[in-house]
Amino acid sequence: MLKVRDLVAAYGPIVALHGVSLEVPEGSIVAVLGANGAGKSTTLRAVSGLLRPKSGSIEFDGQRIDHLSAEQIVSLGMSHIPEGRQLFSELTVLENLKLGAYSRFAQADGGGHPVGREHLPPLSRLRHYLFQAATSGIRDLARTIREYRQRRQDFESALRGVFDYFPILAERRGQIAGTLSGGEQQMLAIGRGLMARPRLLLLDEPSMGLAPIVTREIFEIIETINRTQGVTILLVEQNANLALDIAHYGYVLETGRITLADSSENLRKSEAVQRSYLGQ
Amino acid sequence: MNEFWQQVVTGLATGSVYGLLALAIVLIYRSTSVINFAQGEMAMFTTFVAWSVLQRGEYWVMFPLVLLMAAAFGAFIERVVIRPVEGAPVLNIIIVTLGMFAILNNVATWRWGGIPKGFPAPPEVHVMGIKFMGEGALDIGPTVVSYHDLTILAFAVGIMIALYVFFQYTPLGLAMRATAQNPIASRLMGIRVGRMLTVGWALSALVGAVAGLLIAPLILLQPPMMMGVLLYAFAAAVLGGLDSPVGAVVGGLIIGITENLVGTYTPKEWLGPDMKLTVTLMIIVVVLLIRPTGLFGRRTLRRV
Repeated sequence: MLKVRDLVAAYGPIVALHGVSLEVPEGSIVAVLGANGAGKSTTLRAVSGLLRPKSGSIEFDGQRIDHLSAEQIVSLGMSHIPEGRQLFSELTVLENLKLGAYSRFAQADGGGHPVGREHLPPLSRLRHYLFQAATSGIRDLARTIREYRQRRQDFESALRGVFDYFPILAERRGQIAGTLSGGEQQMLAIGRGLMARPRLLLLDEPSMGLAPIVTREIFEIIETINRTQGVTILLVEQNANLALDIAHYGYVLETGRITLADSSENLRKSEAVQRSYLGQ
Repeated sequence: MNEFWQQVVTGLATGSVYGLLALAIVLIYRSTSVINFAQGEMAMFTTFVAWSVLQRGEYWVMFPLVLLMAAAFGAFIERVVIRPVEGAPVLNIIIVTLGMFAILNNVATWRWGGIPKGFPAPPEVHVMGIKFMGEGALDIGPTVVSYHDLTILAFAVGIMIALYVFFQYTPLGLAMRATAQNPIASRLMGIRVGRMLTVGWALSALVGAVAGLLIAPLILLQPPMMMGVLLYAFAAAVLGGLDSPVGAVVGGLIIGITENLVGTYTPKEWLGPDMKLTVTLMIIVVVLLIRPTGLFGRRTLRRV
């Protein structure tokens, strides 16, 4: 589903990734392990379009996406739940979830991309644009009415799905996001990501700053999301133990390079991983 | 007592103009952390355009036309002048807005001349036999209010309600609030941040244009007309909290009323009308010493 090849990414003059390659098969959970500053978050930022790669290629469903912006990539069916959660902390829980579904609404609004008419001769193209502009108001209105109910249902069912995973969010839907506990905030971040109905979920350190018991609960839900909805997951995590528990496959990232790649069971047995990341 | 109410009502009217301009400043500040020093001059410029349109047309034809032009003008400035310096240090952007201040002022003087012009108040409108707006004054018990003051109040209240509904209940409004808070997360939601900023500038220019059209009948139309108003508007925005639209409006009203009361009730030898600006600014300094975020500014609540 996701193929990253020879990805090089940099923050100004500082190169963070020196040619990272990895693959995420459809329906799987893939973990990227590594220490602080190894380039885990950078990898996700490059995949989701927040950071433009210097070179290398990123393919999502066979389509090159390394030249697309983050706004475009999310509507292809990929949600990035960033490091530190990045909630809209002054908005309510429900407003955060509504924003999670924004990419789907924007698409239905025709806020996406103008249809190319480059093959038309200039005069016809001008006429085409004038016609479009003159009638767009009427067409938009008709389409809005037609699609309103469908979008409403779509939104409601996505919301129900999120509330099924995280009942606490339904209880707190009117609360300001910044006043939630850390675990609830992480749940909201994941819920917000799910509102876009992604096929691929990029998760950055979901355990960050959480109590072990809360972390375990969240990881269980992540596994459920993968198992019951078939959402593919690329998970970045410092806590190797937890990550390898739910992942099918893992990569080890060290100072911007992949040093190990294997199935979770084999990585667990690997001496290097045990020494560096499992603390045994 | 009648004199007192008279001053309060007049203060409310001018105060809501300050509030509107402060609102325009806050709309931009919230989403970009930029204080637009050219806000007043943009309003002055659109008012001059309105004057030119009025030479040929009716007031109520001109009004929506000028508001549309103001919004387009705001969007244009964001795209052409502000976008290229996006990401630059805030000081650079502020200097750009100061540059726009000077340019708009000079162009207006060059095009329309420096001699003050009269600008009409919105003309009379009759709805179901009741007179709205226009000349004259209305007797409301303890005091007499001019129709123009009532018009200003009505417009201010209308705009505030419209903006509230827009930001609170429409998807575009929600996306704009999200962009103001966290641009990176907004991009991950699929929101085009640049487009939201353009809309923000357009809205802000529109609100400022209304302020200009409403204040011009009271202070005569001339290139430096918005300087004093802008100063009060800044004061209002700071007093209310630079990130709070409600604060901007309340701040504007407080300053409008204070200005009038100080001008009327303090003895001439001590403070008097000449010192009303100073007194107003003193109040702000005191408020900021006690509450640096302003009356309605939020100290952000975050748990990490």
